[in-house]
Amino acid sequence: MDQSSGNALTDPSPEQLIDLIARSQDKTAFTILFDAYAPRVKYFLIRNGASSASADELAQEALLTVWRKAHYFSADRGTASSWIFTIARNLRIDETRRDKRAQLYAMVGEFDDIDPDRPDELVSATEHAKRVRSAMTQLPDDQLEVVKWSFVEGAAHSEIAERLGLPLGTVKSRLRLAMRRMRKSLEDLA
Amino acid sequence: MTIVHHPSEETLVTFVAGSLCEGNSLVVATHLAHCNECRSAIRDMTELAGGILEQGDVTEITEATRNAALDKLDDTPIEARPDPIAMAPADRPLAPLSIYEGGKWQWVGPGVYRQFIDVPNDTGTRVFMLKAAPGTRLPDHRHVGTEWTCILKGAFRHDHGRFGAGDFDEADGRHDHNPFVEEGEACICLVALNGHVEMTGWLGRLIQPFVRL
Repeated sequence: MDQSSGNALTDPSPEQLIDLIARSQDKTAFTILFDAYAPRVKYFLIRNGASSASADELAQEALLTVWRKAHYFSADRGTASSWIFTIARNLRIDETRRDKRAQLYAMVGEFDDIDPDRPDELVSATEHAKRVRSAMTQLPDDQLEVVKWSFVEGAAHSEIAERLGLPLGTVKSRLRLAMRRMRKSLEDLA
Repeated sequence: MTIVHHPSEETLVTFVAGSLCEGNSLVVATHLAHCNECRSAIRDMTELAGGILEQGDVTEITEATRNAALDKLDDTPIEARPDPIAMAPADRPLAPLSIYEGGKWQWVGPGVYRQFIDVPNDTGTRVFMLKAAPGTRLPDHRHVGTEWTCILKGAFRHDHGRFGAGDFDEADGRHDHNPFVEEGEACICLVALNGHVEMTGWLGRLIQPFVRL
């Protein structure tokens, strides 16, 4: 595991880099994004059960998808990181099962685009993302652990319970508490 | 439309994580098509997943893969983004379902019809629509496994409350159910069934061999 590469980006922001790709096919912007995200996506895919070789391949594919679909990204819907997460998730689903779930996710996203009055549009996506991250750092360790297992490993609750040696009900209630706590801290945004 | 019953937080997390099977994902997506509140929760959870990705560990990419990616850029056109599909609000609830083929309506009991939805069931989840006439009382039954339902039209009631259009009923083996359809309008719901259903009343036990829900 190499912790030194893949630093989080601040200036220019990953959102700005995606915008540069969309507007001027900027290869330098792509390279910076690749170096920041491909190693993170690869880590995610390996934890999600992909082999090292296939994770390498899929991480490359994920970043090329960022390039190809740069126009699909809208910064008012969420951050670059959350968009790249969904790309990696969908590639992983496609690799293992080739079903229509990616279409379902895309459709759910479209409902938001055509929704005239989303209450949480009153706050910018950047502010929203900042609040989510701050809520995340305030989660108790035992809750954060279960949240990470759910998102990173894509593990079923029963599997998390087994791996952590916890009763299934505890896994579920920690997850529920974590989500409620996070959403509570976002409530005053709406 | 007032939605009272939502999927649990754990279920929404599992949907965002990509770990729900396709059939269960379809029923959750159908609820999301009805429910702004849960879509907002989904956005928060996706942002959380993005935060975890961003702050998580890394695994080094091989130099060969990095070079290959950069080499491919010239041959990888950047796609124009199509306009969002124009969709009347009335069409939205059925939009996720419209991705799939449906079979024919089949009679399964007095006033009750079922239509299978063509979702691969290799994960053991069967997806179907169930249509029940107003006033129908379904046989008492117990779930062995899970039965997730999103109501599309009409309403039914059981021990856990009233379920109308858009409501999500997440039932598992803990519950005994004796649902009945409200008077006035037929009730149509989308169901993902994992495992099977045991009829518990005398009538249910009698018809179980024929119904096979």
